[in-house]
Amino acid sequence: MEAITRTAKRLDFDDKISGAARYCADLRPEGLLYAKTLRSQRPRAWLRQVFVPPLPEGYCVIDHHDIPGTNIVPIVTDDQPFFAADAVNYVGEPILLVVGPDRYVLNSLLNQIRVVYEDRPPILSLEAAMARTGDFISGHQPWFTAYEYEKGDIEEAIHQAADCVEDTFYTGYQEQAYLETQGMVAALEEGVVTIRGSMQCPYYIQSALKQALGWEDSRIRVIQAPTGGGFGGKEEYPSIPAVHAALAAIKTGKPVQLVFERGEDILCTTKRHPALIRLKSYLDTGGRILGRQIDINADAGAYAGLSSVVLQRMVYSCAGVYDVNNLRVRGRAYATSKAPSGAFRGFGGPQAFFAIEMHMEHLARHLKADPIALRRRHFLHQGGTTSTGGLLRSPVQLGRMADMVCEMSGYAHKRTAPKPLSGKLRGVGCSLFFHGCGFTGAGERDLLKPSVRLCRAADGTVQVYASSAELGQGAMTILSKIAACTLGIPPEKVRCGYPDTKLCPDSGPTVASRTAMVVGRLVHEAALKLKARWEEPVCQAEAGFQYPVGFSWDKDIHRGDAYLEYSWGANVVEIELDPVTCAYEIVGAWAVFDIGTPLDEGIVAGQIEGGMAQGLGYGAMEVLEYRDGRPLQRGFTDYSLPTTLDLPPVKWRLVESHSDLGPYGARGLGELSLVGAAPALAAAVENAIGKPVRKLPVTPEYILELMHHG
Amino acid sequence: MTGCCRPETLEDALSILSRQGAQVLAGGTDWMVKHGQQGPHGGPVLYIAELAELRQIAVHGGEIHIGAACTLTELLESPLVPDCLKQPLAQMASPAIRNIATIGGNLCNASPAADALPMLSAMDAMLSLRSHKAEERLPAEDFLLAPGKPRLAQGQLLVEIHVPLSPKWDCVYRKVGLRRANSLSKVSFCALSDKKAGYVQDVRIAFGAVAPRVVRSREAEKRILSSGHPLTDDQIQAIAAEYGKLLKPIDDARSSRAYRREVSLRLLKWYLREGMNA
Repeated sequence: MEAITRTAKRLDFDDKISGAARYCADLRPEGLLYAKTLRSQRPRAWLRQVFVPPLPEGYCVIDHHDIPGTNIVPIVTDDQPFFAADAVNYVGEPILLVVGPDRYVLNSLLNQIRVVYEDRPPILSLEAAMARTGDFISGHQPWFTAYEYEKGDIEEAIHQAADCVEDTFYTGYQEQAYLETQGMVAALEEGVVTIRGSMQCPYYIQSALKQALGWEDSRIRVIQAPTGGGFGGKEEYPSIPAVHAALAAIKTGKPVQLVFERGEDILCTTKRHPALIRLKSYLDTGGRILGRQIDINADAGAYAGLSSVVLQRMVYSCAGVYDVNNLRVRGRAYATSKAPSGAFRGFGGPQAFFAIEMHMEHLARHLKADPIALRRRHFLHQGGTTSTGGLLRSPVQLGRMADMVCEMSGYAHKRTAPKPLSGKLRGVGCSLFFHGCGFTGAGERDLLKPSVRLCRAADGTVQVYASSAELGQGAMTILSKIAACTLGIPPEKVRCGYPDTKLCPDSGPTVASRTAMVVGRLVHEAALKLKARWEEPVCQAEAGFQYPVGFSWDKDIHRGDAYLEYSWGANVVEIELDPVTCAYEIVGAWAVFDIGTPLDEGIVAGQIEGGMAQGLGYGAMEVLEYRDGRPLQRGFTDYSLPTTLDLPPVKWRLVESHSDLGPYGARGLGELSLVGAAPALAAAVENAIGKPVRKLPVTPEYILELMHHG
Repeated sequence: MTGCCRPETLEDALSILSRQGAQVLAGGTDWMVKHGQQGPHGGPVLYIAELAELRQIAVHGGEIHIGAACTLTELLESPLVPDCLKQPLAQMASPAIRNIATIGGNLCNASPAADALPMLSAMDAMLSLRSHKAEERLPAEDFLLAPGKPRLAQGQLLVEIHVPLSPKWDCVYRKVGLRRANSLSKVSFCALSDKKAGYVQDVRIAFGAVAPRVVRSREAEKRILSSGHPLTDDQIQAIAAEYGKLLKPIDDARSSRAYRREVSLRLLKWYLREGMNA
C-alpha cells in the first residue's frame, strides 16, 4: 500500500463531530435580517401584477428592479432570470424576497402578497414536450439542446444485420436530499459584498454576483461555510439564493440570511433529469453486435441550465463499456414547465448506464446467452476507441473486474439457483460501467483553466489555496495530504481551509469527479515547485492546468477524447422479493472499482458506500413525481430515501491500477460509485420475476404491474 | 407566543379542556411537523405527556389498560402488552420517535395510515374518553370519523386504551411501507386467529391505510369461520370479493390505488390459504 493510501484523520472531523462547525443557519451576525422568497404558483404564465401590502417598519421587498446589473443567471445559455420579471416558467420560480427581522412576520407578509397571473399553456411532462408542435418554451423547437454523432458506418451495419433488438427505458427524477438545505448569508463589509453559505462552486457564485451587480471582482467575496452535502445540488443552483441575499444586504445595509425550508428546497431546486432512452442493436447471425442506435431524451425543465452539459455526458456514456464499431447517438434536452433539472452526482451517467446495461441484459435474454459472457465479448480494451473515437490509453481491466465481482458475490451460482423454499423470489444482477473524470471534452482547458497556490509560512507550515469545497467528501483532507506527501512534511504542517475567493485562486468547481484528479494534480505540481524553493523561509508556488499532450477534442463533431481519464466499475446486487406484496429487500451488494491509486482508504470507503447507497435509492425507492407542475413528494416523509435497514453492507474491492494523469496515479471516484447500482438492482429484480424491467425506480407498484401485464 | 398549559393532574387537564378549547399535545411527533414551519400555533396548547394518570399500564379484569400518554417504547418494553399489539408498534417510525410518540397521539392524529388502530380494532379494544363531567367507552374501531377527525367531543380527552387479554391470538401483521424504518404504511394487514386443537375458533381481520377508516367486517369474519377447513379457492375468492367492496384506497405520494387494493387482497388470500393454518 502506498503511504498516501493510509487513512488520515480528516481536517473537518473535530468541528463536525463536536458540533462546533457553524453552518449557514448558525451564522447570526449583529443586526441580522431574514429573507423569504415569494415563488410562482403557476407552471407557465405572464406575470401581470404583484400587489404588496403596506410593510411594517424595518421590512422591505427585493425584486428584479433591485438588480443593478443583468437579470440573467450566468450558466451556459442566457435564459434564466434571478427574479422573474414579466413571466414565470415553473412552480417555485422566485418573484421577490421579503426581508426583515422576524421570520414569522415574513411568512405572514408572503401570504398577503397578491400576484396576478395570466396563464399560458404549460408543458407538464417530457412526453408532452416531445409531442409539442408549437408555443415552445425555448425558440422554435421543443428542446434546448440537440446532439447527434456517429461512429463507423451505421447504415452499413443495419444493412448487414440479421437481427435487431429494441428497448425503451424511462428513468425518473432524483432529489439530491443533502441534509442541509440551500442557504446563504450576505453582508456588506466596507463596500465589499460578502457571501457565506452552502455551496460547491465559490467562483460560480462570484461570477453570478458580478453579473447581477455589475461590480468589480474586488468588491465581491464568496466564502464557503461548512456545507451539509451537495451531490450536485449545490453546483449551479446556489448562485440564485446568493444573488438574492446579496441584493437584500446591499439594499438594507444589514446582513441577511436566506435559508430554504425543506419543502421549498424540493419544490424549486434542481434535480436529476428524467430521461426516456431508446436503444436499438443490430446483430449478426452469430449474435455479435454490429451496430447500435441510441436516442436519448432528457427532461430539462423550464430553463436550459446545465442540461446541455448533462446531455453530453449522457450521449458519451450511453454506448457503455462496449466496443461497438458502428453507432448513431442522438440526444435532446427538452423544455418543460417544471423546475430546471441540473447537476446530480453522476451527471447523466446513471440514466445512460441504466439503459445500456438493461439493454445488454435483454440482448442476452434474446440470444439465450449468459449476460456476463455477452458483455465480455464486447468489452472496451486498451488501445481501442471510445464511442467518440478517443483512444483508451490506460489498461482497461473490465474482464478482471467482472471475474472479481462474480467471485465475491457468487453471481454465477445465484443466477441459476432454484427458488428458495420460503416462497420468496431471489434474483441477482450485474452492471459494468465507467465514469469520465473531470469536465467533458476540453472543458478543463477551455472553460475552467484551473489553478492552485501553496504558501509556505516562516514557521514551516504550508497553506493550500484552492477553490475546492469541502462537502463531506474529504476534499480538504485529500488536497492537504497530497501537499504533505509531495513535500515530505508531516500532515499537521499543512493547512487547507474552506475556500474564500479573496484568498484562493479559481481551481474550478467542486464537481465532475475532478477534485482529486485534476485539482489534486495541480496541488502536487505546486508542491514540487515549492519543494524546489524550500530553502527560502517564506515562499509560494502556483500551478495551472495543462492539457495533456496527444489528447484532442472537437466539440462540434463530438470527436476525440471526451474525457481525459476514465474510472471503471462492476457491481452485483442481490434481492429477495415477496411475490405477495412485490416488495423486496436488497440482500447483497458487491462492487469492484478501478480508481487508480486510492488517496485515502477511509475517504474512498465513504465515497463507495455512500455512492452505492444513493444509487440503490435511485434504483429502488426514490420516487419523485409531478402533478400539474408540482412535485407530489415535498418532504422526507414521502420522498423515500433508504435507511440503513434498507441497505445491505456493501462489499467492495479495488483493482490495482495507476493513472498517468492524477496525483500519485489517482482517478476520479465521487460519482462512479453511484452510477452502476441502479442497473444491477434492476437486473436482479428482472432475474427474480422473469419479466423485463424498463423503468426506474423499480417500485413494488411497478413490479406488480409487470407481474400482471408485463 | 403560544399559551401553554401544563397541568399537574388529569382532573386539572380536563377542567382546563372544559373551559377552553385547546390543542392537546403529548409526544408532538405529528403536530410539530405540521406546525413547525408555519410559526406559532394560534390557540393554547395543553401539554399532557407527563400526567401520571395517563402513563400507566395495568391489568384490570381481563383487560390491559394502557394510558394514552404512554410512549410506543414503553408499550414495547412492557411485559403486560400482548405481542400482537407490539408487532405494529415495533415497525413504527424509528427508535428516537418511538421514545417520544404516544399511543394516544397515534390514535388522535386520526390518520387512516396510523399503524396502531387496525390491530386495536381487530383485538376489539375499547377507548376510554373522559371529559370534566363524564366518562365514555368507545370501540377503537369507531374512533376515526374521517381522515384527521377523531370522535372526540369538545372537552373530551382520550385517557386509556383497554385491550382484552383473551383469547391468546395467533397473529399475523404485515406492514407494506415505503421502506423498512421511518415509513408510513401504504397498506397494513392484521389477522388474528384463535385455534383450539388445530382448528380455528375465531378470526379477526383488519386493513389499514386502504380506506378512510380501518376496514373490518364481522360478516366476512363469520363467513371465514363457517367455511370449513381448509377453505376452497372459490370460498377464498368470494371472501376476497366481499372485502374488495369495503376497500376504498387512494392514489397519493406514497402509492397507488391499484397497488393498495391488489396487495390488500393478495395478503388476505395468502392468509386464508396459508397464513391462518400455519
